[in-house]
Amino acid sequence: MSGLPVADRQVVRRAALGLVAVDRRAVAVMLVLHGAAAVAGLATPWLVGRIVDEVAAGAGVAAVDRLALAIGGCVLAHGLLTRYAQYTGHRFGERAVARLREGFVARTLDLPIAVVERAGTGELATRSSVDVTTVGSTVRDVVPVMVIASTQLTLLFGAIFLLHPLLGLVALSGLPSIVAVTRWYLRRARPAYLAEGAATAELTEALTTTAEGARTVEALRLGADRTAYGRQRIGRVWATRRATLALRSVFFPVVEASYALPIAVVLLFGGLLLDRGMVSLGEVVAAALYLQQAIEPLDRLLQWMEQAQRGLASFARVLGVGQQAEAAAAPRPRVPAPARSGRLVVRGARFSYADGPDVLHGIDLVVHPGERLAIVGPSGAGKSTLARLLAGIDVPREGVVSLDGVAVTDLDPAERRRRIALVTQEHHVFIGTLRDNLAFAAPDASDEQMRAALVAVSADWYADLPDGLDTQLGDGARELGAADAQQLALARLVLADPHTLILDEATAALDPTTARRTERALAAVVNGRTVIAIAHRLNTAHDADRVAVLEDGRITELGSHHELVRAGGAYAALWRSWHG
Amino acid sequence: MPPQLPHAEPGTPDTRGPLRYIWWLVRRQPWRVLRGGLIGTAWMLGLSARPYLVARAIDDGLRAADHRALLWWVAAIVVAGMALAYLGIMRHRTMTFVREDASARSAAVLLRHLSRIGAVLPRRLAAGEVATVGGADIIHTSAVLTMTGPGVGAVLAYVFVAFLLWSVSPLLAVFVLLGVPAVVLLVGPLLRRLERVESVYRHQQGLLTTRAADIVAGLRVLAGVGGRGLFARRYAARSQRLLAEGYRVGAVNSWIEALTIAIPGLFLAAVVWLAARMASAGDITIGQMVAVYGYVAVLIVPVWFLLEGGHQLIRGRVAARRIVALLNLRPDVAGPPSPVGGPPRPAPDGPADLHDPDTGLTVPAGRLLAVAADDPAESIALADRLGRFVASEVTWGGVPLTSIALDEVRARILVADHDSYLFAGTLREILHVRADLDDTDLRTALRTASAEDVVDAHPEGLAMPIGTRARTLSGGQRQRVRLARALLAEPDVLILVDPTSAVDAHTEARIAQRLHAARAERTTVVLTTSPLLLGQADLVAHLRHGRITAAGSHVELLEQEPSYRALVSRDNEVADADGSLR
Repeated sequence: MSGLPVADRQVVRRAALGLVAVDRRAVAVMLVLHGAAAVAGLATPWLVGRIVDEVAAGAGVAAVDRLALAIGGCVLAHGLLTRYAQYTGHRFGERAVARLREGFVARTLDLPIAVVERAGTGELATRSSVDVTTVGSTVRDVVPVMVIASTQLTLLFGAIFLLHPLLGLVALSGLPSIVAVTRWYLRRARPAYLAEGAATAELTEALTTTAEGARTVEALRLGADRTAYGRQRIGRVWATRRATLALRSVFFPVVEASYALPIAVVLLFGGLLLDRGMVSLGEVVAAALYLQQAIEPLDRLLQWMEQAQRGLASFARVLGVGQQAEAAAAPRPRVPAPARSGRLVVRGARFSYADGPDVLHGIDLVVHPGERLAIVGPSGAGKSTLARLLAGIDVPREGVVSLDGVAVTDLDPAERRRRIALVTQEHHVFIGTLRDNLAFAAPDASDEQMRAALVAVSADWYADLPDGLDTQLGDGARELGAADAQQLALARLVLADPHTLILDEATAALDPTTARRTERALAAVVNGRTVIAIAHRLNTAHDADRVAVLEDGRITELGSHHELVRAGGAYAALWRSWHG
Repeated sequence: MPPQLPHAEPGTPDTRGPLRYIWWLVRRQPWRVLRGGLIGTAWMLGLSARPYLVARAIDDGLRAADHRALLWWVAAIVVAGMALAYLGIMRHRTMTFVREDASARSAAVLLRHLSRIGAVLPRRLAAGEVATVGGADIIHTSAVLTMTGPGVGAVLAYVFVAFLLWSVSPLLAVFVLLGVPAVVLLVGPLLRRLERVESVYRHQQGLLTTRAADIVAGLRVLAGVGGRGLFARRYAARSQRLLAEGYRVGAVNSWIEALTIAIPGLFLAAVVWLAARMASAGDITIGQMVAVYGYVAVLIVPVWFLLEGGHQLIRGRVAARRIVALLNLRPDVAGPPSPVGGPPRPAPDGPADLHDPDTGLTVPAGRLLAVAADDPAESIALADRLGRFVASEVTWGGVPLTSIALDEVRARILVADHDSYLFAGTLREILHVRADLDDTDLRTALRTASAEDVVDAHPEGLAMPIGTRARTLSGGQRQRVRLARALLAEPDVLILVDPTSAVDAHTEARIAQRLHAARAERTTVVLTTSPLLLGQADLVAHLRHGRITAAGSHVELLEQEPSYRALVSRDNEVADADGSLR
């Protein structure tokens, strides 16, 4: 299930250049150090040549010692320069990766909630762990290698050209086949590595969800099923890995065989030039040796090409998440909210999930400020969907939902949430302290206000906490029960202080005893606000100002409880079935 | 030879330690690893062919101005290049096969273990941890195996070069033979330091991943209440701490990189210096001196491989340790796979009463019993005891439940939690909990659970795809799909925990009727306080302060038990709920 998009080549290139541009100085320092290191590295064979010449000329031990000492110095310089070049590169890489993952989380936080739900947490988790890490190791390990290798190759080929331009030209004879096969490879590699990454993510998701649902696996004896499901994923990963291996099986041998070609041609052609007295023997030998030396950096470049591809593929997946946020955010201008009166109007709203059939078929509804409206109807009628439209989480396919004349989806999201809060039966306790779990609803709230909010929702468990607001919650620390977690959610609402509350069966997932306790807490929250309550228990509807009956995505009845009971429609029938 | 993946049977891993685990991965494919070693060795030895051929082309061809000889040696260079390319790709393919075989095996044993370990797992492990193990750790562990081939080759190539050196000068050979172990000894402590730094870094990286997953899991809440900016900032702060740790790793790492260059480089310089002095003294020829330089330069490759191998081994060991830790997680002692003391006792053949001494509850065989508990925690604890998710005194047909084989208990007694997990798949796959089910069975169960609307609303019907945790379904729909799934398991004893808490009254009444008919003649326990479900039960028990205080029909209890009436009566609730809307 890969519901998240992947960035295209242009976006990837722009983002990569952006990362470099932000850290220009570090990149420049790294390049200079690597260049110096390459020169120091190339000095060793040149000095060995000097020793050969000196010994052949009958030089003494003193000259040999001097040159050997110079070699040692060059090696040390090479090592030291490499160390600082690598360190600069590593720090740059860490910074780039930190920027990347922080940007990734920031963009994830900006994702429309519907997109996240469809994509699955495993997919997002893989992108945030495996892909961000892969990009990181690419930036830290691969980029320096590419820089070093390119520097060395430039120096070596430059040296051959200096020996004789014609030798330099024939030295390039291996390049056409390398360039051709590299182009062939790179064209096919991207989709192949993307498929490999997607298959790997699915396998990780299979492992993660099996762990999350371990109790269900045990109870329903789904072990064999889960194993079979995972085996399928392993098979798919293998299929994609074989596809990329097939590409490398062409790419690697062609390039490697191409290494020998220029050496052979230089020797052969050098023989001809030698006959005509255009070059010396020493020059041909030097050119052949330089070419032999070029194999190593070329080979490293090639070896890391695969990793670079992987990194690029991961980079595209990491950036893909941002792309979606931009795409979703771009067409919507942010309109400043008008004065607070809080009149919610729904006009002709239709909605469907993905490309499915419509769930809502033209809803018209006006909610007045301070009104208590109950929405009832059978499961699957579209109540929760309507709640999400009212809260501005989903956008109607047709029609509009507006607050004081402004479409709710045009409001600045932060502003919208300050005015309209949606409370569902799903709650989440974040890893962190109790204070962390409250503060995000109202960043300016004092400890006093937080405690008052907890008291308001009768969260009496607060008294038992060892460290008060600083008590760690979640992830192996203290776990809150469902009711306590729901009270925590309500305390957040007290702090957030929105003028309109949408309650989507906020207490439905709780057992009745706890639900009653929570409902009492809720009473403290709803005072003085507009309330839209979605309820499957009719007692909630009984005392609302108005009741809307939603059936099959349409509002079929609308009026006060007594009006509807008198009308003798579906609501009246429901009410009777409730009372037995 | 490519492996056949996934493996028919991944085998039993050696989980006594990370290195033993890696060794186990090797032992499962000894011939492939050996072949990789041989090809890797041939390739590495082949690397020394080119300098030799080039030297011959220069000496016999160019210097002697012999065009024929030049042509021959040049042709040999091209052919050798092709042969080397062939060996290279065969090495890479074999190593990829080795790596993928190991990765698939690790994934398979992890998967098998995760699906066996059961209920205890979520309590012991963060979800992010499994994602890290399943993602990066498997890969790092397998990477160790890819070093085996070149590793063997590196050692052989090393010996080969030492042998060649011996023919030139025993002194030089001894110097090389002693020098390289010294090189390794110098680098060893540094690599161990790297392991420490690296594991701290990886731990923090895992925590950061958990945070990101936590944010993803709570996105709905953030969408409802706000606070995204705060979470972004808090994550960024943690990310910055990891960055600082990354700097420390980088400081160590870069020194190792530098030493990887400097130590072999200095060693080579020393060899050259020694050889040059000997040549200058006339002990060896200039040709031999150049040859020594060439051979030792060739040695750099195996030395580099060995150092890199140590690097990967360390990383792989850290990763394998986490895999082994996960594989060593055991189910709780509370639910021992083999019964406490003595061989398993047979479960009752047919329907039999379940009895829970803790509360005094007896579940009559073949009936629908509803239990209304004052405290929801007590009803969950009761379900855990009856389903043997914890150790207890519960008996089944007089036999202690803990003395019956766990597998048999799981096969015949099902506890259906109200939040049981829904895996990704089509609706048909989700409901297909037994092998002999067909679509008619699935539709019947969906009808019993009053969940036809889930299928009807979707053009693909039973083939509709449902994501992990069925997030695209409404809370009520999810609950009814769970109920249908539990019914399809057709256990002898079905224990339903709050099966209709998220369902509207109309639908709930329908489910209550159909459930009774669908479970006719079979034992069913419903833990609920809903009057609609309680009204349909054959027998109702009231659980209060840890004991069953009353039992009878719903109507009887309503009349005779004020505390029961207070618990389930909707009239009371209306009064409270009024408050909620005022």
